[in-house]
Amino acid sequence: MSASTNEIRVGMKVEVDKEPYTIINNEFVKPGKGQAFNRIKMKNMINGRMVERTYKSGEKLDLADVEEMQMRFLYKDADSATFMDDKTFDQVTISKDLIGPIEHWLMEEILYAVILYKGQPIEVAPPTFLEMTITETSPGVRGDTSGRVLKAATTETGAKIQIPIFIDEGEKVKVDTRTGEYVSRVNE
Amino acid sequence: MLGAARQFFAERNVLEVDCCALSPFAAIDVNIDVISADVSPNMRGYLHTSPEYAMKRLLAAGSGDIYFLGHVFRQGEIGRLHNPEFTMAEWYRVGMSFETMIEETAEFIQLFLGKLPVKQLSYRKAFELFAGVNYTSDDLFAAARRHQLQPDPAWSRSTLQHFLLTHVIEPKLGNQELTVLTDYPPNEAALARIVEKDNEPVAERFEIYFRGVELCNGYHELPDGHELRRRFTADNLERVQAGKPAYALDEAFLGALGPHFPDCCGVSVGIDRLLLLRHKRSSLNEVLPFSWPQIC
Repeated sequence: MSASTNEIRVGMKVEVDKEPYTIINNEFVKPGKGQAFNRIKMKNMINGRMVERTYKSGEKLDLADVEEMQMRFLYKDADSATFMDDKTFDQVTISKDLIGPIEHWLMEEILYAVILYKGQPIEVAPPTFLEMTITETSPGVRGDTSGRVLKAATTETGAKIQIPIFIDEGEKVKVDTRTGEYVSRVNE
Repeated sequence: MLGAARQFFAERNVLEVDCCALSPFAAIDVNIDVISADVSPNMRGYLHTSPEYAMKRLLAAGSGDIYFLGHVFRQGEIGRLHNPEFTMAEWYRVGMSFETMIEETAEFIQLFLGKLPVKQLSYRKAFELFAGVNYTSDDLFAAARRHQLQPDPAWSRSTLQHFLLTHVIEPKLGNQELTVLTDYPPNEAALARIVEKDNEPVAERFEIYFRGVELCNGYHELPDGHELRRRFTADNLERVQAGKPAYALDEAFLGALGPHFPDCCGVSVGIDRLLLLRHKRSSLNEVLPFSWPQIC
């Protein structure tokens, strides 16, 4: 599968020098009487590096064999985490190297987006919002319910976050996994 | 802006002409693709990429100084500085010198962008100054790599030349002033005359840049139909090698470039880009009410 430079859109996944890239920008450049080019900015999906490549307009780029699957987190051990496809019950074990940045967002029974390149996982993304229990924090202070005064807390997944001072240990909160910010208290 | 442009030409006694936008012949250029249209089930026409061929036939017929202000069309050109349909002011001045034509074009541009200083720079000098290369003798692939760029090793010398021009040189042209690029290499002459200058053949062709944006393209016009036929044939050959269609030669146009064709200079200016720079925007779709959607 390939696509011409004039079909390359933001977000498409291409393969360059045997590595997968996400398209960030595609600019058409042409002198009035000269060769037309496409200056394409892309991000390496494995190491995150940004690169810029220029192609003659009309050249073709290979599309990367990339797919995203929703998989349920089962368990983790010392150096990996295991997920399962709900439909096929297939399990995949992903090394800590890839899980590293999101390890503190791993919760059992939750669905994660696993990005596969040629069938191999290259990235795991948590849902934007997660609900989790506070396991460690200083005692709640009544009175201030503005939510503007914050204190440190640790959640059941081991994430270190800032929460309003009126929340106690054992309470459930909603957290934004992109920023690690507290969103709201969850009443059950 | 259109009113100011027409007034500029009226003050100089340049006659407005209206040329056919749809012609049985396509303009021939290695790097310009033409939009075709079905005129009837068995007849194909082409939208003009500039009114040049038609205007030159009028010049040969004795029109004297003429201008065209209207829309032209180019296939596949969509981007920040490109729209497949755009507005062009193109004019021809009989008996005017190449230098005077440059001055008059700068005055036209200044009408819209203000009294900017004007600086001339030869194509050779621009490559020396901004890319650090002698474009005829140095290794252009290595030069591009020195500028942290990733050219394709398979590219031809002429592609590398355009690559350096667009990626390294153009962004530096016209930062504070109108930069006039002149003395193009003979293989970039298009429809311009070639003259000897400092022991080197150069094309009497110019372009003006402001803030890295190419605004016009002008020539001391080649009056020789035989030479042009040779160039068009070479262009068509290059198009075929690049996997593009070759186009039939417009004999009526080539025939006009004979003894009746006056000594003249001509230039075309992109009006949409003037509008863009006048309003300090970065993309044509910010200033055009009707533009084609850009891909990114």
